[in-house]
Amino acid sequence: MGIVIAVISGKGGVGKTTATANLGLGIALNGKKCVVVDFDIGQRNLDMILGLENRVVYDMVQVMDGEANIKQALIKSKASPNLHFLAASQTKDKSVLNSQKVEKLITDLKEKFDFVILDSPAGIESGFEHTIEFADAAIIVVNPEVSSIRDADRAIGILDSKSAKVKNGEEVLKWLIINRIVADMVEGGEMLRSDDILEILDIKLIGKIPEDKGVIEASNQGKPIILDKKSIAGQAYARISGRLCGQKIDMKNVEISDSGLFKKIAGIFR
Amino acid sequence: MFDFFNFGKKKSASVAKDRLTIAIMSDRDRTNGYPFMDEMKAEIMDVVQKYVGVRGVEIRKEVDGDIEALAIDVELDKNA
Repeated sequence: MGIVIAVISGKGGVGKTTATANLGLGIALNGKKCVVVDFDIGQRNLDMILGLENRVVYDMVQVMDGEANIKQALIKSKASPNLHFLAASQTKDKSVLNSQKVEKLITDLKEKFDFVILDSPAGIESGFEHTIEFADAAIIVVNPEVSSIRDADRAIGILDSKSAKVKNGEEVLKWLIINRIVADMVEGGEMLRSDDILEILDIKLIGKIPEDKGVIEASNQGKPIILDKKSIAGQAYARISGRLCGQKIDMKNVEISDSGLFKKIAGIFR
Repeated sequence: MFDFFNFGKKKSASVAKDRLTIAIMSDRDRTNGYPFMDEMKAEIMDVVQKYVGVRGVEIRKEVDGDIEALAIDVELDKNA
């Protein structure tokens, strides 16, 4: 039986879909069977980030409605045979989802895969609620920026009340990813530090991702950045994927710029 | 060196932290606890209605230091 992880954010545009694609691939590259599901009905995006947009034949709504079976709809990633992808419907709107259908789909996927990762739509409306309802855990993606953090807190609040696990008296696991950290700005006191963000949101950190221009280039090409071993964001995603697979990997401090580090080392010899 | 120019001026990250802390605290207050409040109200109403007429149910979450409590007011319907 696999674990179901919802990737959520509250605010849009913080890197949720990029995180889903990269963590899914990272987990697959660790040898685990993983499926990533795009729950953003009507605004399909994960297919582009994974470079699989031309392979979509059936979507998850068709699977839920019995118009296609899961095997037909699952698309295998070019980057790893362990990674599969299930597309969002592009033509329907999110009102097609209901709890029974979602639960059935997720139960089926859990039997086939070690990890089921759900890419949530932005906002805190019904599409979001369906994404978190049957999740065992949630990864919350924020940027070190006030509106993203505030919206994340609202999303966490809804997670804590609408999750089926919580309603059953169990705990839904929550992990924070801080994305798009600019070390120079953190050092200059112009960007929130991760410690401050953790204190405000009061949840556990699973990884920090530095700002990296390569992320856009990677999405241009439909090749998740984790495949670029030299990329600092790709390395950060690889570390988080390892942690999700149970490896003990120390948190790297991406809030110190290279020049800042150099200054510190130079300071020792002064 | 740059501190000279920033003298007396708060760094924007710490301004952000202060503003966020306050905004989030008031958000959490305003949502007043739980989104399942309406369902709970309806159920309480059903239970009480079995015995006596009810006009309405009001639930508030009250926080006093470490103690959190739900204050439930049931307004009875005298005509029922």
